[in-house]
Amino acid sequence: MKKSITLVILLFVSLYTTAQNTEKEKKKDSIVALDEVQLITIIKKKIETDMKMAVTVDEFLASSDNISFIKRGAYAWEPLLNNMSSERSTITIDGMHVFGACTDKMDPITSYVESNNLSKIDIKSGQEGSMHGATVAGSIDLKRKSTPFNLSKKWNGAYQTGFEFNNKQFFNLANASYSGSKFVADGSLAYRKAENYSDGNTEEVKHSQFTKFNASLGLAYKTSELSSVKVEAIYDEAKDVGYPALPMDLWLSRALITSATYKQLFKEGLFRALDTKIYFNAIEHYMDDTTRPENLVHMDMPGWSTTYGLLSKANLKSNNFSSEIQLNAYNNLSTAEMRMYPQDRSERSMFAYSWPAVTTTFAGISLNNSWEISDKSQLNFGGALGVNYNHSKYVEFNWIFHPGTPQEKTRILPSFHAGYQLDIKNFNFSVGGGYGHRAPSVSEGYGYYIYNSFDRYDYIGNPDLKNEISYEGNASAGYKGDKFSLQANVNYFYIENYIIGRILSLGSPMNYQSVGVKGYTSLEYSTLFNFSLNTSYTILDNLHWKGVLTYARGKDDNKNNLPFIRPLSYQSSIHYRYNRFNFQTSVNGDLEQINYSPEYGEDQTPSYTIWNLSADYTFKIKDYRTVVQIGAENILNEYYSTYADWGNIPRMGSNIFTSLKFNF
Amino acid sequence: MKKNIFFVIAALVAVTSCTLDKTDYEAEISTVVVEHFEFNEVVSINKNNYQIRIEALNGTLYKGYNDIHLTITNTQTNENISTSNVTFLPIITNYNGNNASCPHQYNLNYNTENNYYSGYAVFTSESNELENWEVHISFTDNGETYTVNQDIIVEEQANMNLNMTAFTANDGEQYFIALVAPQKPKIAENELVAGIYKYNQPSNEAGTFPDPSQFSYTEVSNYTLLLDPRMPEPSMGNHSSPNNQNLTQQEDGLYYGTVNYTMTGNWTLNFRLQNPDGDIIKGTEVSTDFTPGIEGERSELHIDILF
Repeated sequence: MKKSITLVILLFVSLYTTAQNTEKEKKKDSIVALDEVQLITIIKKKIETDMKMAVTVDEFLASSDNISFIKRGAYAWEPLLNNMSSERSTITIDGMHVFGACTDKMDPITSYVESNNLSKIDIKSGQEGSMHGATVAGSIDLKRKSTPFNLSKKWNGAYQTGFEFNNKQFFNLANASYSGSKFVADGSLAYRKAENYSDGNTEEVKHSQFTKFNASLGLAYKTSELSSVKVEAIYDEAKDVGYPALPMDLWLSRALITSATYKQLFKEGLFRALDTKIYFNAIEHYMDDTTRPENLVHMDMPGWSTTYGLLSKANLKSNNFSSEIQLNAYNNLSTAEMRMYPQDRSERSMFAYSWPAVTTTFAGISLNNSWEISDKSQLNFGGALGVNYNHSKYVEFNWIFHPGTPQEKTRILPSFHAGYQLDIKNFNFSVGGGYGHRAPSVSEGYGYYIYNSFDRYDYIGNPDLKNEISYEGNASAGYKGDKFSLQANVNYFYIENYIIGRILSLGSPMNYQSVGVKGYTSLEYSTLFNFSLNTSYTILDNLHWKGVLTYARGKDDNKNNLPFIRPLSYQSSIHYRYNRFNFQTSVNGDLEQINYSPEYGEDQTPSYTIWNLSADYTFKIKDYRTVVQIGAENILNEYYSTYADWGNIPRMGSNIFTSLKFNF
Repeated sequence: MKKNIFFVIAALVAVTSCTLDKTDYEAEISTVVVEHFEFNEVVSINKNNYQIRIEALNGTLYKGYNDIHLTITNTQTNENISTSNVTFLPIITNYNGNNASCPHQYNLNYNTENNYYSGYAVFTSESNELENWEVHISFTDNGETYTVNQDIIVEEQANMNLNMTAFTANDGEQYFIALVAPQKPKIAENELVAGIYKYNQPSNEAGTFPDPSQFSYTEVSNYTLLLDPRMPEPSMGNHSSPNNQNLTQQEDGLYYGTVNYTMTGNWTLNFRLQNPDGDIIKGTEVSTDFTPGIEGERSELHIDILF
């Protein structure tokens, strides 16, 4: 059954280029200006949170205001941007589209990277995130680390190890880079292994273990003063991962994410940079229910997702006007199977596709402009136009519920956004709006009896769904003083043809746990409101306080609540520095979930409060900067589960974490 | 400065083959089902100056529905006979000499396009040591009538999608339902074709054997076959499919409906037979409840299929 892994390797990319001059890293005026093209981004500087320096990608994302998570266990959390599920956002790695291979969303893209191969995560809200493709909620772009040419120091590296006591998680993260004037190489290795965690009642949560290996490699060569080529690859393998909230676990998932990039800078003229990338990624995902003897049916559920793509970006600048144009094209093939075994195994197994080999081809052009009207004010506007084409190879599966539906479907996905920013002394204001379409995801369009263990329904896709159309408004106001800062953000989405599962009167469930069949349907509309408030106060030079408050509300066209909307949540943290010591403590929690949605399988989640504490010390071993950290999460061992914990699985109880990091 | 640089970067692109192979869908739905397309000779009989060839799918007669092609060649002129009245009567004789027949087309039609006589027979049992099938064929040529008897072998139908059932309905009549198509179902909407036949009780005394009036069957007209397909496997909890259509009679006399199979495996076609007056004369309505762990209950009138 297990075929040996034929990994490895070797593609020779030969390139023949005509070259020009000037150095890429020489920060000349024009090139500095390029850096500023990155607009309105919420950029996390380092992949670590205030509390913890050795975080997983999920933990890191969780520290962002507009991200929340659906959690099915300790691993591979599904990020919700602006309280919208992952179909509504574009999640990319360096702009590359990668699609999970699991019909049950056990493998969001964020699960295929590691914190030590990322440099930052760009989160853009709403239509501002349409640069990488059509979206409603926004975009999450995971940026892989890239080493600049010609650093004074040729070799850099870091090694980090640690142990978390609650789930006996042991991790090793290493990365190294070499930088020359012509050639750069960087790589990372990561390995994590965790056992089951214990909840706040100190009871073991079975099937919550995971093992993850991740490696990445990047090689860049400077083909001329102003151009370079780069090839990159990420390999990720997760094995024996438990999903306590699901009736199945993961036996193996593997991802190979590769790309080749050609970058050309221009010293003068309208065009300042041209960045073209071709990419390929392949994901395979195999579920496993053999450790769940309580299951009535043994079932194999393998899934595969392969994507080819092209990404080409040009930066233009003229005086106080700058533009970014991006061409995105990709082709994805998603196939997922299910095979149920009868109780008498000698009998014929029962087979069907849960994704009947669905191809998605997308091509689009996105534009983002920024016009600095004055020192104080700026206008950003842009739009995108995309063509989305779907093809279902085994369309007869779709005909069972939607007789005669066409095998192919082409959609036009336009979008537009504009925003105005104004800075007056210590105050800043912004207001903006957007409009955009998105195509249904593979599951929403072509899914076939995909069991959702949250509401316990089998879901059927509908190829004829209309585009989801989002109308969005956002505003922010803030004050930034020497010691005190306050920033408030609101956004409001009115989403036409909002796609959600509704009970079908036809058909009967296929999965024995399920209670019925739901079909993806379009609500006439739904509305979503998000609010966040960030404050910080510098009490003393070495004593800082930070507070975050978020609130969201989502309603469907009958004024019923939408599911997975975060109740009022808060976070308050204090950071204290003393010599080479840092101390942090934070309290965070959600209030009682009042606006839950029984219609979509939710029950009311009570409030909870978590208290965390950590301390770190920086010192030198020889010339190497070393940081040691110890901390505790959920110190009071609170038993809780959040509004978005699948099947109300309890979260981790108190956990002591330790970590040690060397920088070379 | 213009310089041509040629370089090669050994890039790490791990070429992975899938750990587990994807299922070959065509092979998957062919695992237990063999589809036959070709008519081959079952038997060839020589009578006087005539050669009679019987052809059927795969050159074999199976229990259940069989399309029959028959050609009669004058071996002297080497010409096919096309103007004769050809009759076809299958008779089964058991160990104590009792005779019976099965639904069949007695008067064969001539197919001018393909130059053969066509008909069908729904064999109700397989040939075995105790029961023997024989066909009685008659034809006329040049004003002379010839009759031939030929033993035939009826084999087991391994493809459950061509199963049949025989029963006595509430009206006291003897009925037969035989599946005709699809031979190889797909996980899809399938056009379900069945023949529904009735034994015509003879009203007169038997004449000389074989007296066709004693062995008369007809396709019933304007009945409706109500359909409710379900998976009997206990773990499937009485799973059914949407958008199925009851079978109604079309011009060719067969009954056509739609069955949706949502996955491969064992399915039960639960039927209820409704006569033209709207009365259910056989079959019980099955529960629509989802009952995981319990084998699905079948209608008293049903045919099991597997693909």
